[in-house]
Amino acid sequence: MDYIFENLLTVLILLPVAGAALTLAYHMVTKQEEQIKWVTLGFTLLNFLVSLVLFSKSAVVGASGFSFEQNVPWIRSINTNYHIGVDGLSFWLVILTTFIMPIAVLSSWNAVEKRKTAFYVFLLLLESAMIGVFVSLDLLVFYLFFEASLVPMFFLIGIWGGDNRIYAAVKFFVFTMFGSLLMLAAIIALYYIYADQTGLGGTFDLTVILTALKNGSLSFSKISQAGTLLFWAFAIAFMIKVPVFPLHTWLPDAHTEAPTAGSVILAAVLLKMGTYGLMRFNFTLFPDQSREFAMVFIILAIIGIIYGALVAMVQPDVKRLVAYSSVAHMGFVILGMFSFTELGMQGALYQMLNHGVTTGALFLLVGFIYERRHTRAITEFGGIANVMPIYATIFIITTMASIGLPFLNGFVGEFLIMVGMFQSQVLAVTATVNWNYVSAMLAGTGVIFAAVYMLWMAQRVFFGKVTNAKNKRLVDLSWREIGLMLPLLALMVYMGVFPKPFLKRSDEVIKSIQARIMQQAGGTIEKTELKPQSPAEGEK
Amino acid sequence: MENNLLSLIIFAPLAGAVINWLIGGRLKNEMFSGLVACGAVAISCIVAFAIAFGIGTANPGALFAPEGKPILDHLWTWIQVGSFRADFGLGMDRLSGIYACFVTFVGLLIHIFATGYMHGDKGFYRFFAYLNLFMFAMLTLVLADNFLLMFVGWEGVGLCSYLLIGFYLKKDEARTAAKKAFVMNRIGDWGVLIGVFLIFTLTGSISFFDKTVDGTPVASALNLIAAMPTETFGWGTLVAGGITSAAILLFIGATGKSAQIPLFTWLPDAMAGPTPVSALIHAATMVTAGVYMVVRCNGIYQNAPTAMFIVAVIGCATALFAATIGLAQNDIKKVLAYSTVSQLGYMFLSCGVGAFIAAIFHVMTHAFFKALLFLGSGSVIHGMHHEQDMRKMGNLRKYMPITYVTMGLAWLAICGIPIWAGFFSKDEILYRTFAATGMPANANYILWAIGLLTAVLTAVYMTRLMVMTFYGTERFHEAIEGEHAGHADAAVHDDEEEAPIHMSTEVLTADDDDEEEEHHHLPHDFKPHESPWSMTVPLIVLAILSTLGGLVGIPYAVSSLVGAGDINVFERTLEPIIVKVGVKPEHALAEKAASVAHGESATATESKAVEHAVEHNPEEISTERGLAIFSVLLALSGIAIGWFMFGKTPLRKMPKILEQKWRIDELYNGYIVDPITNLSRKVLWKGIDVGFVDGIVNGIGNFVIELGGFARQIQVGFVRSYAAIILVGAVIVVGYFIFYGLKLI
Repeated sequence: MDYIFENLLTVLILLPVAGAALTLAYHMVTKQEEQIKWVTLGFTLLNFLVSLVLFSKSAVVGASGFSFEQNVPWIRSINTNYHIGVDGLSFWLVILTTFIMPIAVLSSWNAVEKRKTAFYVFLLLLESAMIGVFVSLDLLVFYLFFEASLVPMFFLIGIWGGDNRIYAAVKFFVFTMFGSLLMLAAIIALYYIYADQTGLGGTFDLTVILTALKNGSLSFSKISQAGTLLFWAFAIAFMIKVPVFPLHTWLPDAHTEAPTAGSVILAAVLLKMGTYGLMRFNFTLFPDQSREFAMVFIILAIIGIIYGALVAMVQPDVKRLVAYSSVAHMGFVILGMFSFTELGMQGALYQMLNHGVTTGALFLLVGFIYERRHTRAITEFGGIANVMPIYATIFIITTMASIGLPFLNGFVGEFLIMVGMFQSQVLAVTATVNWNYVSAMLAGTGVIFAAVYMLWMAQRVFFGKVTNAKNKRLVDLSWREIGLMLPLLALMVYMGVFPKPFLKRSDEVIKSIQARIMQQAGGTIEKTELKPQSPAEGEK
Repeated sequence: MENNLLSLIIFAPLAGAVINWLIGGRLKNEMFSGLVACGAVAISCIVAFAIAFGIGTANPGALFAPEGKPILDHLWTWIQVGSFRADFGLGMDRLSGIYACFVTFVGLLIHIFATGYMHGDKGFYRFFAYLNLFMFAMLTLVLADNFLLMFVGWEGVGLCSYLLIGFYLKKDEARTAAKKAFVMNRIGDWGVLIGVFLIFTLTGSISFFDKTVDGTPVASALNLIAAMPTETFGWGTLVAGGITSAAILLFIGATGKSAQIPLFTWLPDAMAGPTPVSALIHAATMVTAGVYMVVRCNGIYQNAPTAMFIVAVIGCATALFAATIGLAQNDIKKVLAYSTVSQLGYMFLSCGVGAFIAAIFHVMTHAFFKALLFLGSGSVIHGMHHEQDMRKMGNLRKYMPITYVTMGLAWLAICGIPIWAGFFSKDEILYRTFAATGMPANANYILWAIGLLTAVLTAVYMTRLMVMTFYGTERFHEAIEGEHAGHADAAVHDDEEEAPIHMSTEVLTADDDDEEEEHHHLPHDFKPHESPWSMTVPLIVLAILSTLGGLVGIPYAVSSLVGAGDINVFERTLEPIIVKVGVKPEHALAEKAASVAHGESATATESKAVEHAVEHNPEEISTERGLAIFSVLLALSGIAIGWFMFGKTPLRKMPKILEQKWRIDELYNGYIVDPITNLSRKVLWKGIDVGFVDGIVNGIGNFVIELGGFARQIQVGFVRSYAAIILVGAVIVVGYFIFYGLKLI
């Protein structure tokens, strides 16, 4: 038991790999695929249960240090270590990953017909990679996991996807790959800069680099533009992953073509790697640049919120609509992060979880109807509430969570983000206009549009009479389907009514990151530089 | 003061909703569902009255607590991040006490009525689950002790309104109306949210009351703002990010929830829902939430004279505008809907001129008589087998005597005939408008004149309604020419695939039939019938309240006539919730600097004294009496006009533009909804997303492929060409090093 406790994170990463290996071996020996989903379900559930052990350490609650830390040398010649640990920033994301995986497996129960072994193996490998991303504290290890998560998803979309799956898979891969190559270059540059300035030899260890930054032995300002270039190299990689407008166009394709399990994981976890990466690396390594370029991110976030909502509104395909709504929701997360207020950043972190739960649920629901009708075109439906009342009820509740109805999860996150942005000091305050206010007000319109596109869709799909004869015999949700929605519904309500335990975990980390970014504001130089630009840009 | 029973008021209906949803859905027993729903609201009602009047406790009730101190009930801390905290805490002071009492009481009556009205509907249990959920949300709104929890209720009532308007799932116009209501409310909610942000930024608190939670003191945001200096009158203050901005932002929310210009168009469409819903949500309770919020924040508004003026103008304009539309409608519920919009306009006018108590008074009396009118119309519709078109009614007093008499009393009340409830509240508002100060010169007289004109119109259209429904000849079987013109008109805009909030204009089809949709014709031997007791008893109770309910707020000018002293109980009760009564807005205008100090130093007692002195000034009393007589005469003349215009010719053609509601829906469709939809589809999606960004990406992709093709051409397979290429490369590399090598030297 002690052994598991000490190596908990490693166990979390390796358990799915073991599951994958076992699955493959099983398939090779028996040549049959029927039992494989049970094996996979078992492993993902087991992993979820193991991840609950994370709750046992109270250390995770507060201090900005890491818990369940492990640090063993990996490749000595380049001084890279297998350094992993979990803190308030990553705690809930790890839980979210292990939580969503069994649901993803269950959602594929009858949906996946061909090459089942490969499918479940990829799912398991994906889980390992995702957990690895959230817990690695070594830049190179992080990069490897970040890339590793790409491969299973590429195949999930490319093999089990819809009609246009190859295009979507390649687009997804190329977009993400482009960003991560930039990041790799930045990681290597960081290694050499560290070696240069400290004379201690290079390192990939995030905590070591951060210590050097804090005690002044490492500083990017000594090399002209180094900080800026490195910041953007990291940022672009993560912005593509989030995705931030205008780098988002891979998302609708990938979401629409991916199998249900793929969409769910993509929305719930993969997108969070982007926002998590920005918080973990950009904010801590480059606090000055983060503050300096916050305006760019805020503008893009606001465009994303409004743009995503407007484009979602006119989508003829339910899944594509949900995909575009993701763009809008992730815009909120970015906005909150770059408000650099405790409220906004906490809200952003919370909204990552909310989005995972709610949008994950929406993709599941779309999957259910797709399995029955093999179409997702809104015009094909109408009056579904008459034939599938349970489905309709669950869908409407999820819709309400998605559009931020109070006492459901979405509201708490969006509210905190907007109030954080409102109080932010990142943007210029001129005599006539406080651009922080304007940003919050513009972002607020996204809440209106969200109601428009979701309710319009709900109306066209669920209400009225059943006009399409093909919909007359639709079967309502099975117990398996209800069963996998129930935990999500329960979370939506719980997270909306009792957000405190969730917010509590990240309290200290957020405070320290926020303080580092805002307190280092070395005078008003950056602010005055921003002023002349902001009115013009803000009007977009 | 703490009283943990307070949470019972809100949670009893919630429990009712859950029980009905989970168990009622299986039993499908009307008796069970009805009992659970009514019982839950009855519990709330009893507890609300007990706490408000202090029955069964040693302390005085919330309505009599000294200095208007609230009774609090802290449940848990909802959100706490940094300096921000939002509690799930309830508070009942005099304002929320009055609200809680009439909401639960009227709610109970309407629940009872609905058990009769909804009899036989397949979704009986669902209906009562929603209705109870609504009571939960509404009471949360009213009893919340901070802005954010109030917003929870605010959105909650919006949700329930959405669910209940769209209760008849298969009726397309009902679903469209439901969505329109939700979206328009959302636009208003945006204002509330930003307003709350601003208030939090200004004060660092969102609490309504000074309180202590777990040993931490929490200051009241309202008191903090009330203590700030009054802002000057000027348009610049609207966008200055100060108190006026906050007040205006909150008011945007109020225009959404309370259906004022420009966000009023959802309320008439909302009549597609079942009639008890119209009575409860769209007349008596939810739509007055905006008034509640403005009065709750009177400390903010009194410091923002510009905002006050805008509130008054919008209210007054809405009152007149809606009344003109109400004149020409043929659907009995539509007339009442526009009447509601118009009366809500009065309430905001009242707030805008600083008569906050009169506004609440009108909210209460309006809740009585408008709920009665709606329930009466429900009874008519029920008796007419779901016919809502007044052109097909007539002479119903013969068949439905109880409905006729009770609605007649409500008619007198809304017209403003003395001793009926509406007279006192409306007259108070008109007088206070007349006497208002602190706005641009003579604006108060203009507002007052418009208010009077609206009062006349109100009398006319209500008389028209009564005449068309209860008098004249029986027109049950007559076909009506041009009935389908409206439908054809709507069909033009029935482009569902084109716009997300297409707004249908005419809802004339039957109210109820979930199963059979088509416009049915009444059987040949059809006779209307009086409704069962479960429907008539609430009518009678409300009729009594509509008749006598106004007597709690008799102004001194009237009571002194008969030798009684100051018996305006209502005003005395609510006075403590109005901060800074002593400071009249004109002081703020004239002597800005001086009034700041004055406003802060004015204690409650001082200001009370000032108030009384003003009220008992003999000159003003005679003005007030004169105006009252004048407005009663006008109301009577309005009734007379209505009687003579429509008594003989109930089907008199009304101006087309009024019948078409000034074509506001078409305006919104054509200039807001459609352009945004087209922009989204053609420019943003097809243009930028698919065209531009993907175009670039695909372009690069193609370029790479082309490049590959080009590279393939280079790879011709001849060794010498490879050698040539290698040579060229080597030359470049060597050249590069030589160049830089030379530079270094």
